[in-house]
Amino acid sequence: MTEKFYYDNKTVRNFAIATVVWGIVGMTVGLLAAMQLFKPAMNLGTQYTTFGRIRPLHTNAVIFAFVGNAIFMGVYYSLQRLLKARMFSDILSAIHFWGWQLIIVATAITLPLGLTTSHEYAEMEWPIDIGITLIWVVFGINMFGTIFKRREKHMYVAIWFYIATFVTVAVLHIVNSVELPISFFKSYYVYAGVQDALVQWWYGHNAVAFFLTTPYLGMMYYYLPKMANRPVYSYKLSILHFWSLIFIYIWAGPHHLLYTSLPTWVQSLSTVFSVMLIAPSWGGMINGLLTLRGAWDKVREDPRLKFMVVGITCYGMATFEGPMLALKQINAIAHYTDWIVAHVHVGALGWNGFLTFAVLYWIIPRIYNTTLYSVKLASFHFWIGTLGIIFYAVPLYFAGFTQGLMWKEFTPEGLLKYPNFLETLRQILPMYMMRALGGTLYLTGVIVMSYNLIKTMAAGSLVANEAAEASPLPSVFVAQGTDKKWHRFLERKPLLFLVLSLVVILIGGMVEMMPTFTIKSNIPTITSVKPYSPLELQGRDLYIREGCVNCHSQMIRPFRSETERYGEYSKAGEFVYDHPFLWGSKRTGPDLQREGGKYGNAWHYNHLFDPQTMSPGSIMPPYEWLINQQLDTTTTRAKITAMRSLGVPYETGYEAMANAALEKQAKSIADDLRQNNIKVKSDREIIAIVAYLQRLGTDIKAK
Amino acid sequence: MFKQFLENAEGNQGYLLSSLAIFLIFFILVGVFVLTMKKEEIKYMSELPLKDEDDERGS
Repeated sequence: MTEKFYYDNKTVRNFAIATVVWGIVGMTVGLLAAMQLFKPAMNLGTQYTTFGRIRPLHTNAVIFAFVGNAIFMGVYYSLQRLLKARMFSDILSAIHFWGWQLIIVATAITLPLGLTTSHEYAEMEWPIDIGITLIWVVFGINMFGTIFKRREKHMYVAIWFYIATFVTVAVLHIVNSVELPISFFKSYYVYAGVQDALVQWWYGHNAVAFFLTTPYLGMMYYYLPKMANRPVYSYKLSILHFWSLIFIYIWAGPHHLLYTSLPTWVQSLSTVFSVMLIAPSWGGMINGLLTLRGAWDKVREDPRLKFMVVGITCYGMATFEGPMLALKQINAIAHYTDWIVAHVHVGALGWNGFLTFAVLYWIIPRIYNTTLYSVKLASFHFWIGTLGIIFYAVPLYFAGFTQGLMWKEFTPEGLLKYPNFLETLRQILPMYMMRALGGTLYLTGVIVMSYNLIKTMAAGSLVANEAAEASPLPSVFVAQGTDKKWHRFLERKPLLFLVLSLVVILIGGMVEMMPTFTIKSNIPTITSVKPYSPLELQGRDLYIREGCVNCHSQMIRPFRSETERYGEYSKAGEFVYDHPFLWGSKRTGPDLQREGGKYGNAWHYNHLFDPQTMSPGSIMPPYEWLINQQLDTTTTRAKITAMRSLGVPYETGYEAMANAALEKQAKSIADDLRQNNIKVKSDREIIAIVAYLQRLGTDIKAK
Repeated sequence: MFKQFLENAEGNQGYLLSSLAIFLIFFILVGVFVLTMKKEEIKYMSELPLKDEDDERGS
């Protein structure tokens, strides 16, 4: 006796369209950011379009809008068919879809406005964070509701990956979003300095693992066998690599902080686990590629399989390179350079992009009950996309090596060979141009795909509710070829499965975080480190608003090449009042940790007004609005109070005097500027940001 | 290379070794689980995605 039911294809179609639309938007913004790096005029002269604000818009758009919608498309299509059931609730599906798009729109509006928390890939302010949490829960209920009413008792490995994705992203997002709001659009992280850095990179690394990797592995395990029409190479390997992958990944986050002020034992742990990570990652890659054994003739004809093969190969390359970059010796050169940017784009363009395209080319004709409009165009897309990846990655690798080595080069006399940072930047500008060309090629391919898919949709008509039949579950479980009950136990108990994967992913994070948060010796205090003055605090928030952290680090590693260039290396105790930390991850410009006192106030004023006058050849955009805009001092009180409740030792009652202190300090800076023939009112934003820059790193500076 | 790992791991080798031990125990458990699975079960599981009716369409 079979039951008749209908698959929901409409939600799948909606997510597919959203994937393509946001993909084009996110990549176009990325191309703009790429061009800004060799042509500062591309910052377009407004405060809403500078690189510092555009770069987070690009990363969030491609991760959460493009890849996010692609995940939901892939999950909604495959989950229903693997479980022989319609999605749990049409209403939840609709809320999920529209809620996610609303979050994207809110992000796209607020980030250019400078409303940012500055945590990488989590820049959205707290109201949006809450929205993400709610919609993620809706997704979870919808997914587990479907699992509970399934007609296929056994959960295929793809569903394991989906469950791990759901539970881990929930944990990551919540822990990384613990913020104290001071207004509707501004909040401070409760963590400070080293601890904040550890949380951010535990999040950042595992967002790559559980947003960009596990759901895509799940999709690979469903769509690749479908496309090749043969089962996965080794199901046993898929189980082994699933558990190993989710266990090990979570430990590796601190490899983003090698040689920083993070306790050394945490760095070492992350290095060891990063190297171990090669095994499960390659287990997945090998399982994918070997699924095509004996089917390589199909690869020659089918562009979807071509996308799959190159995508999985890129996954293999990126997951080999990742552990290599986690070795201290290599990290010393690669960190802060474009090498890292090249590395993530091999993963993003190759693995995420190409798998998404393959799945789109596969799903759209099916749910429209037709055939793909043009296989030739899809083939063209494949080739121009591959060329795009090569033109993107190769120049940036070259740029990364070149700049990383130039930063470290000494003359025989023992002096820095390239003491002027700009010299090392000028060297790699041609590489930035090549990269933009690569991005253009890749984007062209996506536009060709959009045309192909629109034509395909026009030729067919959407089967919104696709009829299917399956037997309901028998009341007594019938084992498939095994008499050992506990074998099947996990596959039949989705909630237990969820709890178990939660436990597995919590172990690593807890071993690393708990001692760092609780044992005092991990962050030795420095008595001369004092809280920021109210003006400096306001200036720091402007620094965050303008996204300075996207190009300037505040973390001097203990190398002679860095202490010669920037000054005394950074200590953990220097950051105890930094909510959030602003260490940065990329040096498009020089490190600013010891910027305080290096130049006069007038230099900073002129440099912010027009960077090229002070540093000829600089690619930093001008920030003239800082001079025109009045500093908002109505927030000072709330900020001081908030900081105190987070443990910053401002005296009780200081919030009432804070603005008076702020005005006094602002006036002294304005007076100093006047002596250098710069007339500016003391209530302007630029005064605050100069005050902050002049404070940087001075607490422990040798006099 | 491994010598360098250990040299870089200043202090607290206990963290390294116990973490490695935790993983090895976990890995061996999963390994035993996988190795004791029956062939029929593996075959059934790996063919789950291929059981749709819609495979003729759209290609």
